[in-house]
Amino acid sequence: MQRPRSLQGRLLALVLGVVAAVWAVTAALTWLDVRHELDELLDSHLAQAAALLVVQQAGEIEDDAPAINAPSLHRYAPKVAFQVFHEGRLAMRSSNAPAQPMLALTGGAATGLRTVELAGKTWRVFAAHGRERDTQVFVGEQVESRDDILWAVLRSGLTPMLLALPLLALAAWWAVRQGVAPLRALSRTLAQRQPQALQPVAVDGAPAEMAPMVDALNGLFGRIGELMAAERRFTADAAHELRTPIAAIRAQAQVALASADDAERRHALSATLQGCDRATRLVEQLLTLSRLESGSAPALAALDAVAVVRQVVAESAGLALGKRQTLALEAPAAVSVSAEATLLAVLVRNLVDNAIRYSPEGASVSVAMLPTAGGAELTVEDSGPGMSAADIEQLGERFFRVIGSGQSGSGLGWSIARRIASVLGAQVSVSRSASLGGLAVTVRLAQS
Amino acid sequence: MRVLLAEDDPLLGDGLRTGLRQLGFLVDWVRDGMAAESELRAHPYAAAVLDLGLPLKDGMDLLASIRRAGITLPVLVLTARDALPDRIRGLDVGADDYVVKPVDMNELAARLRALVRRAHGQAQDCLTAQDVVLDPAARSVLQAGVPVPLSAREFDLLHTLLLNTGRVLSREQLEQHLYSWGQEVESNAVEVHVHHLRRKLGSALIQTVRGVGYVVTREQPRA
Repeated sequence: MQRPRSLQGRLLALVLGVVAAVWAVTAALTWLDVRHELDELLDSHLAQAAALLVVQQAGEIEDDAPAINAPSLHRYAPKVAFQVFHEGRLAMRSSNAPAQPMLALTGGAATGLRTVELAGKTWRVFAAHGRERDTQVFVGEQVESRDDILWAVLRSGLTPMLLALPLLALAAWWAVRQGVAPLRALSRTLAQRQPQALQPVAVDGAPAEMAPMVDALNGLFGRIGELMAAERRFTADAAHELRTPIAAIRAQAQVALASADDAERRHALSATLQGCDRATRLVEQLLTLSRLESGSAPALAALDAVAVVRQVVAESAGLALGKRQTLALEAPAAVSVSAEATLLAVLVRNLVDNAIRYSPEGASVSVAMLPTAGGAELTVEDSGPGMSAADIEQLGERFFRVIGSGQSGSGLGWSIARRIASVLGAQVSVSRSASLGGLAVTVRLAQS
Repeated sequence: MRVLLAEDDPLLGDGLRTGLRQLGFLVDWVRDGMAAESELRAHPYAAAVLDLGLPLKDGMDLLASIRRAGITLPVLVLTARDALPDRIRGLDVGADDYVVKPVDMNELAARLRALVRRAHGQAQDCLTAQDVVLDPAARSVLQAGVPVPLSAREFDLLHTLLLNTGRVLSREQLEQHLYSWGQEVESNAVEVHVHHLRRKLGSALIQTVRGVGYVVTREQPRA
């Protein structure tokens, strides 16, 4: 698993990155601006110096006088140089100026600013000439010196900023840490929590941004709490529901043990067996239900529902015959539905078993599996006592059982049927059977 | 001893009824709360065994309503609910004992006998009058230390009279204690049983109060 990046680190990096970027842009803009101003100023100085030389030289230079080497008067002077040519001959130059003209003396006299390479150095040169064009003046300055000024200006501006950067980083680190403190508090609270503790979490001073997360978390806790309560209730109900068949088994076994009468003992022993069957059925139902509730959604596939229903009806025939009931199946050769075969069989079995169990001796139970416009419809009808509207409302609640039915059911069959229907995406409806007068349960299955 | 059993589960009800009968009880079995209430109002049961999860009328409601109606018979609640709050509520509403399923038949019978005994103000297991000692648990009767064999009806009649020592019981009252439903009551059954008891235990024990009924006194009346 990839190690998650720290939010604190990310915030810190972002803040510092943005600050550094802003500084860099500021420095670049300053650089450009200062260079422009500096060039303007120094270029104007060059131009002025050249003008002075031109004015000064007018008419004073002897044609054959030797070139004057002006003294270097200041230690900065080497950075600046000038040359005066009269009629193509060097008349005057500063001590650091070369003998060759700084700009080539082409046919016409040169004027204006140029940047040239001289002896490995870059010079900014201003060329000017006298009115008669016999005097050519060059005033040059090393570009390096301009860069020095530029650097100095930038240095003075940037140095405090660079020095401040670590301090700024420290301050940003502290601020970010303070900012994410509620998050740390939340994680501490959660880490220290007992698994059973499901009360809502509260973080003091939590910012508005954290509210959705805390709300979602508390919502989750609430749902888990409800789920756990439901599970506990279910376990308790299941245990209680098992107590009755066990009590019956015990009572009947004790009766059989104590009985001197053969018929009475046989009756008690057969009742003991019935009790065992009932407890077994109850346990199976509980397991089915718990598997259904904890399992993931099954893969639905196209299958022939008639084959499944026919199999279940055949298996249930024994139970119906035992109660002298008529059990009939109405179905075409095949009906294709989208379902899962095992679950569909459990669903049908629960419905058919319920119809048989809750109908009296000699009743009719009819099962139909017919295709409809949007899929297929399974109907299980009986001629039993049916149910009141209020009882129909309560159907499917765990352990709800129609009172006075004289049947030793647990009411779990319904819960299972309903749960499977929802897993299969089928709709279940319960009504009074029009043809048989008892209960009619209809399950609408989706077409494959 | 005639008891009412209210239990909606067919297998358990059947087992309890037969089991209690084997232990000498007369058992009437009802399967819902309404039937239980009307039976308790109609007949003088010695005790009732009540399941709480009854159809039509919940066991707790039934208990509360018979107590309001002034029916004081001992009630043993037999239930699958064993949570402490359930027990407390059951006892508070008026149950005399609270037993969680499954229960041993002998224990159930013993608890019922104890409840009945206490309801009649008796602290000892055995009921005594004059030189006769009746042991409800062993269903035996001793007179001056000698066992006296009695039929089941004779024993039940004597048991009822001894439980109500000093109180006169009418023939109808005794019949109701002696017969559960569906049992044919011969017209002069009580007289016949009293006659047999007098023959076996002597005529001094059971007195006839003419026009009212029969009574057992603790001490032999002076002639």
